[in-house]
Order: sequence, then C-alpha cells, then structure tokens
Amino acid sequence: MSDVADAPEAARPITSRRDPRYEVVMYRHVGVDGAWKLDYYRSHGGYEAATKALTQMSPSQVIDEVKASKLRGRGGAGFPTGLKWSFMPPVDGRQRLLVVNADESEPGSFKDRYIMEDDPHQLIEGMIIGCYAIQATKAMIYIRGEYVKGYQRLVGAVREAREAGILGKNVLGTEVEVDITVHRGAGAYICGEETALMNSLEGLRGNPRLKPPFPAQAGVYGLPTTINNVTTMTSVVHIITRGAHWFSSMGTEDSKGTKLYQISGPVERPGVYELPMGASFRELIYDLAGGPKGGEAKGFFPGGSSTPPLPWTDEYLDMAMDYGSLAKAGSMLGTGGVIVIPKEKDIVDAMYNVVRFYAHESCGKCTPCREGISTWLPKMYQKLLAGLGTREDLDLMEEMVRNSRGTAFCPLADACAMPVQASFKWFRDEYEFIVDNGRPMYTKNDWWEA
Amino acid sequence: MKVTVNDVSMDFPQGTSVIDAIFAAGYDVPYFCSQEYMSPIGACRMCLARIGAPRKDREGNWILDEESGEPKIFYFPNMMATCTTQVMEGMVVDTLSEDVKNIQGGMVEFTLINHPLDCPVCDKGGACELQDRAYEYGTGLSRFDFDKRHQEKHHPLSELITLDRERCIHCKRCVRYFEEVPGDSVLDFIERGGHTYIGTLDDGLPSNFTGNITDICPVGALLDTTSRFRGRNWEYQHTRSTGMDDASGSAIMIDGRTGRIERIKAALHPDVNKTWIDDGTRFGHEYVNAEDRVRSPLIRRDGALTPVTWEEAAAFIRDRLSGLSGKDIGIALRADATLEEGIAARALADALGTGQLDHAPRPAASVIPQQSPATLTDLATADAIFVVGDVTEEVPIADLRIKDALKGVTPPAMMQHGVPIADLRLKEHPVLQREKLTVAAPYRVDLMKHAGRAMQYPAGGEAALFQALQAVAEADDAEGGLRLDEAQRAGLGSSVEDATALVQRLRAADNAVLVYGGFVLASREAAAAAAGFAKAVGAKVMIIGPMANSYGLELAGVGPSHARYAYPDMLEGARALILSNLDPAQDPDVRTQLEQKDFLVVHDLFITETAQLADVVLPAKSVFEKDGTTVNLEGRFLGVHAAPIEGGESEDFVGLVGALGEALGQRLEGRSVRSARRVLRKRFEIDPAELGPTGQLYRPKGRTTAKVTIRSSEAVDGNVLVTPSMLRIEYLHRNPHLNALSGGPRLRMGPADAALNNVADGDAVRLRVGGVVRRATVCVDDKVPPGLMLLPTLPEQPIGLARADLSTLVRDERELEVAG
Repeated sequence: MSDVADAPEAARPITSRRDPRYEVVMYRHVGVDGAWKLDYYRSHGGYEAATKALTQMSPSQVIDEVKASKLRGRGGAGFPTGLKWSFMPPVDGRQRLLVVNADESEPGSFKDRYIMEDDPHQLIEGMIIGCYAIQATKAMIYIRGEYVKGYQRLVGAVREAREAGILGKNVLGTEVEVDITVHRGAGAYICGEETALMNSLEGLRGNPRLKPPFPAQAGVYGLPTTINNVTTMTSVVHIITRGAHWFSSMGTEDSKGTKLYQISGPVERPGVYELPMGASFRELIYDLAGGPKGGEAKGFFPGGSSTPPLPWTDEYLDMAMDYGSLAKAGSMLGTGGVIVIPKEKDIVDAMYNVVRFYAHESCGKCTPCREGISTWLPKMYQKLLAGLGTREDLDLMEEMVRNSRGTAFCPLADACAMPVQASFKWFRDEYEFIVDNGRPMYTKNDWWEA
Repeated sequence: MKVTVNDVSMDFPQGTSVIDAIFAAGYDVPYFCSQEYMSPIGACRMCLARIGAPRKDREGNWILDEESGEPKIFYFPNMMATCTTQVMEGMVVDTLSEDVKNIQGGMVEFTLINHPLDCPVCDKGGACELQDRAYEYGTGLSRFDFDKRHQEKHHPLSELITLDRERCIHCKRCVRYFEEVPGDSVLDFIERGGHTYIGTLDDGLPSNFTGNITDICPVGALLDTTSRFRGRNWEYQHTRSTGMDDASGSAIMIDGRTGRIERIKAALHPDVNKTWIDDGTRFGHEYVNAEDRVRSPLIRRDGALTPVTWEEAAAFIRDRLSGLSGKDIGIALRADATLEEGIAARALADALGTGQLDHAPRPAASVIPQQSPATLTDLATADAIFVVGDVTEEVPIADLRIKDALKGVTPPAMMQHGVPIADLRLKEHPVLQREKLTVAAPYRVDLMKHAGRAMQYPAGGEAALFQALQAVAEADDAEGGLRLDEAQRAGLGSSVEDATALVQRLRAADNAVLVYGGFVLASREAAAAAAGFAKAVGAKVMIIGPMANSYGLELAGVGPSHARYAYPDMLEGARALILSNLDPAQDPDVRTQLEQKDFLVVHDLFITETAQLADVVLPAKSVFEKDGTTVNLEGRFLGVHAAPIEGGESEDFVGLVGALGEALGQRLEGRSVRSARRVLRKRFEIDPAELGPTGQLYRPKGRTTAKVTIRSSEAVDGNVLVTPSMLRIEYLHRNPHLNALSGGPRLRMGPADAALNNVADGDAVRLRVGGVVRRATVCVDDKVPPGLMLLPTLPEQPIGLARADLSTLVRDERELEVAG
C-alpha cells in the first residue's frame, strides 16, 4: 500500500503536461478506431485493475486507496471521493446502488462524452471497482438522452462485458456480483443534480430533493446510493493500477491527480486535454489549444458556464487550474470546461445566451429560480438587447441576482446568478454602454464562419 | 433543545422544525408550500431566516466566543428555509433584521411577477394567503413590467373544482395532498421552469376527497365550483358545525350569505377529520337552496296542499290524533336527526301513549360496540387493521385515518400555535406500510389497492367470513390444527394461509382495530360473529352506522317498545303516522298502504312521494339549520350549529314537538332544544351546550347496553347488493354538480349480466329492488361478481343484500329531474 507522505516525488509535484514524468492515461484510447471494443480494451491492459481490486484487496482497502489518492469528484463539486464512499452505511441486507452521473449537461463540458463513445470499458471497469468498494451489486449509468452514440456504445460494451463474464454474478471469475443498467435521460440539465437525477431514475419529475437525507442514507428508492461522475470512476481505474501515491504525485496541495480539461470557444484547437491538476490556464489555452483565434479574448469561464467568468489577465491566465486557486479568485473549477470569450463578442449578448440556458433548464420547483432566473432575468436581458434598458434596470438586475443567490432550493439559481454577477463586476462598462447608447458595444457574432 | 427566536428563548423537542419554533415563540414568517398535516418541502422559499448555531469541537466541548465566553454562534452562510431545518441545541433564529426583511420582500416580488392581477374577480379575495403575505411582507409596487405568462384560466379539473393555471404559485400543496393524504396521485406539475402548470393524466379527478385542495390552495387557483362567484369572502357568515352526511362527525364550516348556503369547508378537528372532509359532505349542500323547498306548513284541503300557520297545523294534528289510541300512532325519524330531536320524539310518543317510535335506517344489529370501542385516533395509530366493507364510501374520513396508520406517523403534538406547520416526520412520496391493512368486501373496493391483503368474499357472506376466521383463530390456539370445510373455505374469500396470517397479525399487534359497517350490521349473526372475532384476537372495534346520528339515537333509546313496532313494520300496523325526513312511498306497495291510513303527517324539506299522500306536510330544517347534538361512530358527542339560512317557517322535530305540545296543552320534554338538553345532561352527564369544538367522547363506566329493541332480521338471498355511498342519493338530483360528476346513482353489473338483461353501459333504467322503485344509470364493470348487481343505498333502502325482480328492469326514458 502506498504512503503519500513518504513519496519521494511529493516535494516536486507534477503540475504540467510538459513534465516528462507525466503521461496521459484516461484519454489515451479516445479517437482510436475500434477502441470501444472489449478485445481492444483487454489487449491494452483492460480489466487488470478490476481484477487486482477484486482479488487482492478488500472493499475497505479499495476505499482507503482512493482516500489516500485524494481524488476529488470530477462532476463539478469536487467532493473527496474516498470520503463519499465511506458514507455508505454498513451492509444491512438492503440493496446498495452505485449511480454514475453521465448527464454531462454543463455548457462547456464534454469530457465524459468521449469516454463513453470511445472507451466505455474504462468506465465499466471503474464502476466494477467502485461497486466492489461500496459493496453494491447493482449500478446504473444515467446518460443524457442527447448522447445517442455514447448510449449505443455503452450498451454494446455492457453486453460484451456480460457475455465475457465481466459483469453479472461472478465478475471476472470471483464471487463478486455487479450488473449495470444504462438509463437515458430526457433533456433536463437539472437531472445532472444528484438528487434530481435520483428522482428521474425513479420515474418522478426531475426536481431536486431535500438533503439530508443524503443519497448514502436514502437514495434511489430510499436505498443506500453513491453517485459519482464518469471520470471520477475512470480515475479510480488508474489509481488502482498505479497506486494512490502515483495519483497524488500529480497536482497541487488541494487538488490531486490527472484531470480532463475542456476548452471551447474561438480557439485554434478546441477539445479535451488531459492534464495534471495544477496546470495553468495559459498552458491549456495557449500551449495546447493554440490560443484565441481571430482576435483577442477578454475573458473566460474557467469551468463551465456555471462558474463566474474571469478577465483575460496574466493574473488569471497564469493561475493553477485547481479547486483552491479558483475558489480564492471568487470563481470555481467546476468541470474544468474553459469557455473563451472573444473581445468582440458583446458581454451582454454572451451572458444572455448563458442566462437563456438556465431559464430553459430551471425545474420550476422554487420561486427565485422559476420566477427570477427563468422568467424575469431573461426578459431584462432582452430589454437591454432591444436597446430599451436603463441604468435603473442594471441596478434591478443586480438586485435580482443577489436575491436569487443562496435563496433557492438548489444551486441552479446560483449557477446562473454568480456568472451574471461576475459579468457585472468585470464588464460593467459594456452593460452601461448598451443602456446609454441603445446598442451593444461589440457586434461581432460570426466566429463559426471560417 | 433550547432555541432563541429573536428575543424569545424556548425549549423544543428534537425534530421540531425551525418554522414551528418561530411560530411557537410568537413570531412569524411567511410560507406557502408548508401545510399542516403534510410534508414540508422548502419549495416556495418564503420562510427564509438567518439561522446560527453553536458547534462542538473534536472533544465535544462548545466552541466559545473569545470575547463573551459564551458558545459562539456560527451562522449558516445562506439564509435557511425554516420549514425544512431542524432545531439544534442553542440555535439562534433571526426573523426581524433588515437582511431577512429584504429577502422576504424579494421573494414576494418574485412570487407576484407571473401572478395575474385577478383580485377583483377572484373568489379567494379576502381569504387569500398571497394577498395577506404580500401585504405583510411585500415591498409595495412591483418592478416587473413585462408580459406575464398566460395559461388556461377556469379550466374544469372536474365538475366540482375549477383551476385557474395563471394564479397558481406552484406551492405543490395540491399535488402533495393527493399523494400523501388519500393516496390518489391524480395531480402533478407538467412542463418545467416558468412554463410549469398543474394538470392531470386522467379524466377528472378520480378520488373521493378532491375538494380539500380548494381549502389548502393558498391562492384562487383551485376553487369550489359550487360556490364560484357566489360571494366575497368577507360577506360570508361562517358557522362551525358538524357534518351530518355520515357517521364520522367531521367538523365543517358552513359559509352562508343572504340566507343561503354557498359553501362548505372543512374545519379543524385534530382527533376526527383533522382538516379534511369528503366530497359528499363538501359539495352536497346545494339541495338546501332548492327552489321547491317546503317553506310553510301545509294542510290538504279539497285534495290540495294549502299553506297554513304552525298553530293551525298543530291544532289540526291534535284534533285528528285525539280519537286514536297509542298503538295506532307511529312516529319515525331519519337517523341523522339530532339527539334533541330524538328526545323530543320520545317525549311526543310518550305523550301520545305510543310505543311505535323508531329511527331509520336502523340495522338489524346494534351500532354501538359492546367492548373495546375504537376511536379514529386508535385507527390512525393502529398497527393492524381489518376492514370489512367499503369504508371509503361509508365513512370516508376513516379511509384517511387508515392511511395515517399506513404512513406510520402518529398524530402530531399540538403546539402553541396549534397543529405544527412543518412536521418533519412527514416525507414526500410516503411508502405505505400496506402489510398493516387487510380489506374484505363482497366486491373490489378502492381501499384494497392500498391493502397488504384483500379478501373478496361472496355477497351476504359476512357471518360465514367471521365464523371461518373465528375457526382459524381458535385453531391458532388449539392443538388439533385447522379444519375448515369447503363452505367455510369459500366463505373466507381468500386462502387459508392469508386468513391465518391475518389472525396472527391481529393477535400480535399492540393496537389492532376491526372496522365494519352496513354489510355486517345487516345480519345479527354476522355482527355477533364479528364482535366475537374481535374479542378472540384482541382487536378494538369501530362500527359504522348508516347515518350521522345512528349511534346517538340508539344510545338515547329512540326506538320501539316491541319489535313489531319498529320501522318499517309500523307502516303496516299504525293508523296514523308522523314521518320525519323519510320517504317510504318510493315502494309502490307501501304507497298503497299509506293511502289507506287514517292520518299521515310528513315532516320534510321537499314534497316527496310520501308527502304527496300526506294530510299535513310540515317544513323541515336541513342539517345545516339546526342547533343540536350528534354522536359519531366513536361515541363522541358533537355540536351541530345552525347557520343563518333562510328556511321559511321550517322547524326541526324539536320545533314540531314544541308546536304540537302547545296544541296539546302539555309541557313536553324536548319542546325546545334547551329542555331536550336537560334530559341529555341528566342521562349522559354531558352538557351539550358546553361541548366546545372538539366535543366529548362518551365512555360510561359500566357497559353500554343498547336500549333499543333488536329488530328482526331475516337472511336475504339477494341478487342486488345495496352498497354504501359517500353521496346522499336522496338529494343527488338536487345537487347538480355532484349529480353531473357521478352521473346519478349507478347500477353496477358485470358485462354478462348486462347482456343477459339487455342493457348497456350508460342506459338510464328503472328497477324495483326490495320493493323500492329505483332509478339509476347502468355502469358495466367487470369487477362486479357475476349474478350480482350493485346499487347505492337510500335511507329507505339500507345497506345489504336485497332481492330485485329483474323483469322490472326497464329503460327509463324520463331524464332524472334536476331541481334547484
């Protein structure tokens, strides 16, 4: 068993892709033709980690290893995974469940998609290890309905796994039982919120639930449930293969391991890049993605549209892409999906696009989100963009988002309110311009043209 | 746990919600989604407050504030919804600061942005929680100057309830009510975000308890169609009374205006109906305002009924009765008469020297449990319940109390402000502990879908059922094991294993309750077997009498001195009859009998078929116009209070006796409500004038012996089963909304029987059942056992098996009359 404190590399953590010790592990098969097949996976060391966990480790040892790795959930909240697994109650005869959140609806996030399309067995292997650790015999993948190809590949992979004895009553020839059901969502961002996801799985409206009780106490159908993101599970595979200390040799003080960062917006090479945690935004945006295309950028969302955008300054570009640094900067790492805002895209128009998303996706359960975010706020933006806004309207909008923040039932309202607040903080001049002049400060809208 | 709300510190038990702590402390916060007796969900975000609590360190000691030395208060980073937050030791709650006020104002503003400015035309105005909270917590003028969302207005959810989707503020009380209270999930939200609206998947709202959503909806989105546009809330006179449509004793609020009843709402009685009433009680009031109500006494002169004064009528009656001896005179009251009316009737009977006094319908067996009577609270906290019959129709509130037991949550303790607003023990999507409930009936009843065990026994087989169960119970003790013959097995309506499991469950329970009603009471043998079985398994007993005051009238001894003087037998023997709210002439043979009588006095609301034969018709008060006392199926004395309704010169039976007593020159007991109550006080040591809103359970120290002569009961081999009904069939055609909803009384039969009798689903038919001519609509239902038809009860046609001559089943071309 690895002991992080003694790791010789701990004094010199890996925080850049340029570090020669770093290698891409999770995405190494993505983009390879036929990589989703079982034969391919097995011929590339597939299911060796699961075999190791099931035959050489006990469930609690698996949990300890994941704890020691300091893996934090990759779905956006960043909750320590080992700790979450240890919340499961002692085995008491009731069915226990592992649910994988593959809803991936956060704008700017698309890392899970290619795992499911090109490397579904990696996810299945991670789920087997996870089920073993929490002693669950059934697992469900909740995949967003829009990921049709991912669904088809996953279903195919699950079938292959069953036929090969990798899923079912005797996983990999052991006494362990694990089976997986793949369940499609039906087009609701809110169903990526874990309690709304559970309601959706049960066939109820996708409204979030009260917490407590937490899913480990009363989850799907009231049963002990653990919910994890897709790439949290795939990270587990490599933690078991190479050890917790390998994982925690990468990253910063509070954010360990290898992470899939995404970058979209007008850059030369948008996509998913696997980097050690602690790499800088500059490395991702310029070194790997080739920098903004067709002009300057003025800001970026660091981790998906729910994270407050930051201005395009050295202070932020050189910041480490980890949980703590971003929290200190008044934003969040989220899913690590960077969205670049070009200079000549009017911020009011850009934020309206963001707000429209949340307005459409609001579940309608609570008043501030249903009436504020979903009804009033988009109308205010429409008013501004129609050239009819006033300075009082700006104050009203700021008050509106202030009243929506921290008052709603779930964080969806915050996910809209906080970016809007940040846009006022960093780009207020553009808001003032549009109300004073009746037209946006910038008007270019055609970055998708060649 | 000690909690400080602003400047008030109090102690609360663990599990109390912060909102209840706030109200108990004498402060308040606004709320829309919380509702007494339902799960708190934290959806409306109105009840937000700033909350902090001290924390303990690793060693378990309070972390102290450096300056004051007191435990440091750590405030939660966000405002918390107080309805879904539990109190903690040392918690501090602030509901008065600027921050909290601003958020409250913000939430009111949000709630109002899509809410239409309908107040001038909305029935809820004046009694609207949104109006009140907006006034108390709002900021005044709204800053939302965009188009509000537009949705369907005045959508008929059913014939009884109108939904205005624009007014809905999405509190979800109606959705949660249906799921958590009657367990009929018939409403839900559709769409999401700002487009969310309330809708159904079924046609209408298939549930007996839909009207309660009009009470709990905080705005005018869900409205009682029977009272739509009938008045403004501040114009109504509210009279709290007791519902007299069934034996539950449900607390009701009668809303009247300009001498008319416009609306019935539920009133709070924590031990009986909580805050719920059934749809029959709520919507079945329209008959009271019917245009053809008898408004003055009438004497038949030259064949025509002519209006006279009460004095004239009383003198006329006195004169016509003076030549007759006691045994020639019969007096009968309907079983929803008040105790005072019963006392008055007894006094009159004594004065006239007759032992022919009875109340009807009165079943063959006593409605008073002879041992271990159960209360509705017993039922709601039972861990094993055995129901024989269709309780959802017979006394609907018992169905809801049974579901309380299945939810496994005991009634909440009352707090300073009354029923807790947010009882955190109640959860959305409750899982019912169905194994607690067994339901036995001669046909499939709704409650069976919530029961762990359902037993469908042959109609009329209640005695056989209990006798077989008794055998199982005895075998459970005895050595030899169980020996049931073929007939006994068939009588069970389920497997022997099921029956054994039932017996064992009832025995093992700490609080087992057996509930039965009309089907069992129709036979003395069955009732005795039921009581014996209850004793054998140690269960408490709840007996459902046919009408509101069956228990009370039996207890007060309003019955004949001899079996042959009972009703309806007295109709044959007596030469003169005084009938109050009974209409036996619906049976043509009885009609012929009545035509031969020397003298017939009918006391009723309308000119019924019997009144058409009467020599004197006296105008009766409806159950909403009387002051009196009733006793519900628990044996609870409850007050009935008159609402200010314009009933012409109508009187209840007390008034009738008062008038007659004057004419006879006698001071009869029961000549007034006051004098009747003197008798009640002496007999029961309960003062009806001092009952208060919750009434009083009557539990005499000795055994309650039934004072009423048992009437004869013959076993009927019938082909029509007369079933209990939540709706009062005798008034259904005068309650247009309930009539439209139900389609009138239904004659239910299986497809084979429909074919055999050459009728189809929806046909209006006439059929003579047990003598009484019944009009009904055919309803073909494959759940009805073959060879049997089901028909709802009337006071003149009690629950149980009856024989119908199927050759009299004909299509009825005449439409059912709708009056009023």
